[in-house]
Parts: sequence; C-alpha cells; structure tokens
Amino acid sequence: MKLLFRIFLALTAVALAFAAYQGLVVAPTEQTMGNVQRIFYYHVPSAWTAFLLFFANFLASIVYLLKRNVAADAVAAATAEVGVVFCTVVLVTGPIWARPVWGIWWTWDARLTTTLVLWLIYVSYLVLRRYSTGSQTSLLAAALAIFGFVDVPIVYMTIRWFRTQHPSPVIGGGENSGLDPSMWPPLLWNWLAFSMLAIILVVARYRLQMMEQEVEDRHAQAALQGSEQ
Amino acid sequence: MKGQFALKLAYTVTWVIQLGYIAYLLSRFKRVREELKDFDRGK
Repeated sequence: MKLLFRIFLALTAVALAFAAYQGLVVAPTEQTMGNVQRIFYYHVPSAWTAFLLFFANFLASIVYLLKRNVAADAVAAATAEVGVVFCTVVLVTGPIWARPVWGIWWTWDARLTTTLVLWLIYVSYLVLRRYSTGSQTSLLAAALAIFGFVDVPIVYMTIRWFRTQHPSPVIGGGENSGLDPSMWPPLLWNWLAFSMLAIILVVARYRLQMMEQEVEDRHAQAALQGSEQ
Repeated sequence: MKGQFALKLAYTVTWVIQLGYIAYLLSRFKRVREELKDFDRGK
C-alpha cells in the first residue's frame, strides 16, 4: 500500500510539472489578454477540483448521517479541508488575474460573491469541527455540509443566470463562449494533475483524522481507567 | 500590475498555498505520532 502511494506521489509530481509546462509554454497566447490569461490553467482546474471535493464531502456527510460511520466522517473532514485549500487558490488567483485585465482586484458580482460565500461556509464547517466538543460535533458538521453544498451549484450557475463581470462559461455557455480547441489539452492536463494532488492530500488528511481519533479514544480510555481507580 | 508579473505571482501564490498546507499536514502528523508514541511508552 505504501509503495502504491509512493508511485502515485511520483506520478503526481511528474503530472504537475508537465501540466505547468502545458499551461506556461504549450498553451497558445490569448489574443486580447496576452500571457496573463495563462492564470486560467491554475484558476479553473482549482475551482473544478474544489467543487468535486465539496461534492465528495456532501456524499460522505449523507453516508455519515445514515450510518454513523466513522470512516465517512473522516472522509468528510478530509475533503472539506482540502476543498478549502483549492477554493483559497481560486479566490487568490482570481483577483491577481482580474487586476491587470479588469483594472480592479474585486467586484461584488454574483460569481465572485457566491464563491466567497462558499469558502466562508466551508471555513465555518472546519471551525465547527475544530472547536466544537462533544458527541454531536460530527452530526452537526454533516448537517452543515449538506446545507452548505447547496451553494456549489449556485456558484456554477451564476454566470449562466446573471450578467457578471466574470467571463462566460467554458462548458455549455452557449454561442460566443467556450475555448479554442488548442487550449483544452493544457486545461485538462492541469485538472488531472490537480485532481491527483487532491487525492494525495485527501488520503493523507483522512489518515491523520483516523490517527487523531485514535489519540482521542486513548485519552478517553485513560481518563476512564483513572476514574475507576 | 503588469500581466507577466501577475502570471508569475498567481503561479507562485498557488504553490505557496499548496506547499504551506502540506507543511501544516506534516506538522500535525508529527504531533499525532508523538502522542501515540507517548501512549505506547506509558503502557
């Protein structure tokens, strides 16, 4: 198992390097924005990966509510935390891209605002898990995750429902939207590489969650033994 | 802000965030492993 993880780790490192090369060198230079448009190859795959992680968190939370399964709770904790990391990348790279292109760092349009709200929801989720004590923590976190996930499709649909400063959708955006075919391979390579990185981080975070659970159980056991003596 | 600088900044910041998170995970692993070792020593 350890060997398999190490092989996957090495493959991910190669994929990330190759994907960066694709985004920085192979991808064509966009006509109006120039080289700054290459931020797209980190910004969009990070957003897609964050959405997938929050979806995994949603599914794991449902499983936990139905079965009270400790492993499902650990998966939920892991996917939410890694999802927040990827969502942070989206929220930081977006303004860095916006400043030279729009002339502003931020605007309160529907896409940007709902993305910020999404990040705040999952940060609240992590704060709840971190600072709430007692047996109800996982249950409350699962409920928050299920309601919180409602914002993901809203974020996705905002650029279809509203006129926003944010560019039109890459997929299914109708006429005058979409990507030049030569931009697809760099985009998909970066998404693959970030998804592989996300898998590694989730596996590591899951393992950490289980180890922390073990420490907690041992503390409880020790306290019980102490009170019996 | 110039486009080329923004591009470099965005790619750098992405890796600072990702590597920062990896470092945070590793430090938590170290702490949990030490706690588990302490339990084993206390047996």
